[in-house]
Amino acid sequence: MEPKHLHFDYRDRIVPKTKVGAHFQRDVEVRGEGGSEFVIIARQSAINPIDFSIILAVVPQDSYVRFRLRRYNGKAHPHRNHLEGGPRFYDFHIHMATERYQLSGDDEDTFAEPTDRFGSFDRALECFVDDCGVILPTDMARAVRLFE
Amino acid sequence: MESRVLTSELKSQIGQEIDLVHEGVDRFRVLTPFRFTDGDGLGIVLKRDTSGWTFTDEGHTFMHLSYALDARDLQDGNRRQIIEGVLSSFGVTERNGELVLPTDALGVRLGDGLFSFVQALLHVTDVNYLSRERVRSTFLEDFKSFVRGHAPEGRASFDWHDATLDPDGHYPVDCRLNGAGAPPLFMFAIPGDEKCSVATIAIMYYERAGLAFESLAVFEDMARINRKALARLTDVVGKQFSSLAGNQDRFAGFIGDHVVLTAP
Repeated sequence: MEPKHLHFDYRDRIVPKTKVGAHFQRDVEVRGEGGSEFVIIARQSAINPIDFSIILAVVPQDSYVRFRLRRYNGKAHPHRNHLEGGPRFYDFHIHMATERYQLSGDDEDTFAEPTDRFGSFDRALECFVDDCGVILPTDMARAVRLFE
Repeated sequence: MESRVLTSELKSQIGQEIDLVHEGVDRFRVLTPFRFTDGDGLGIVLKRDTSGWTFTDEGHTFMHLSYALDARDLQDGNRRQIIEGVLSSFGVTERNGELVLPTDALGVRLGDGLFSFVQALLHVTDVNYLSRERVRSTFLEDFKSFVRGHAPEGRASFDWHDATLDPDGHYPVDCRLNGAGAPPLFMFAIPGDEKCSVATIAIMYYERAGLAFESLAVFEDMARINRKALARLTDVVGKQFSSLAGNQDRFAGFIGDHVVLTAP
């Protein structure tokens, strides 16, 4: 995945703090090493802290479409991958964009897999950083490893 | 198959799709087969509070809508009115972004309450589309009014077509901004998929005819356009604005720049 350098304390900038209705939200625009424009969309319920969503979306050149590549969801709703006909699951899960769901007319990131890698917003954010090509400032990366 | 057997089988299968997960004292997660367009199920909790057993979404529905929509759009205007109508129809109330249906307080049986709550959530998720359809009729007028207000007198020609290359007007341009001494700007207002395709064809037609021009598309809401239609237009159009409402400064600036650059 295209590297995305963050030149700031990502926890302060990505953790949603603006309250809208019953949730907190934050959108952060990030430019990739190859020039692509990305946006990190973070949401967290003000009522249920494990109801959250951390999304990596790419904004294609000359457009304002937010194409969702990955979405890290909390445990607050069931999910079923209807094309695969799999069982419904109720767990923390990760969505990812797939061609087959787009071709079937569904949202690009309809496919999702349950995960035991995170059980909180903070841990999901660390997984997001690890998976999505996010490169932290050197001191920050060292601090995150020590924290783990 | 006998109707009795059919009925039994149907009830059994529907019943299996509804499940409760115990999540603490007097609190249950309700799992149903009803889902958003991205496959995620609705967020429903049944819990006992001061008013008795209550269905709540704990704010999940509006949060989910906010992935692709500015949550502030749900707070006022047409969408707000439609949401309030939906909630009222199903006995659901909103508490600062949380949707709730207090079954005991309303004297509603749990099963009936769940059906009402599910219908309300699904209608709320549809409301964005419905409200956009409702206001669509004003979009083209808004576009024309905006261009009139920002283009110098006599420079903008609306519903234009080239009298020589397209005498029958098969390839219309919503607005041709005259660029004396430089290529004109062809502007297209895009309220939906069909117009998106028509604009694509018109741009390609004039390109192939060898006409020199620049092009621009303004969408009523780019997020609602079919991906394939949008991809085709993106390949040929010069500049795009995802919506008129959210890009008025940039759009005005672009018109201004073009007018200056192409001033006679």
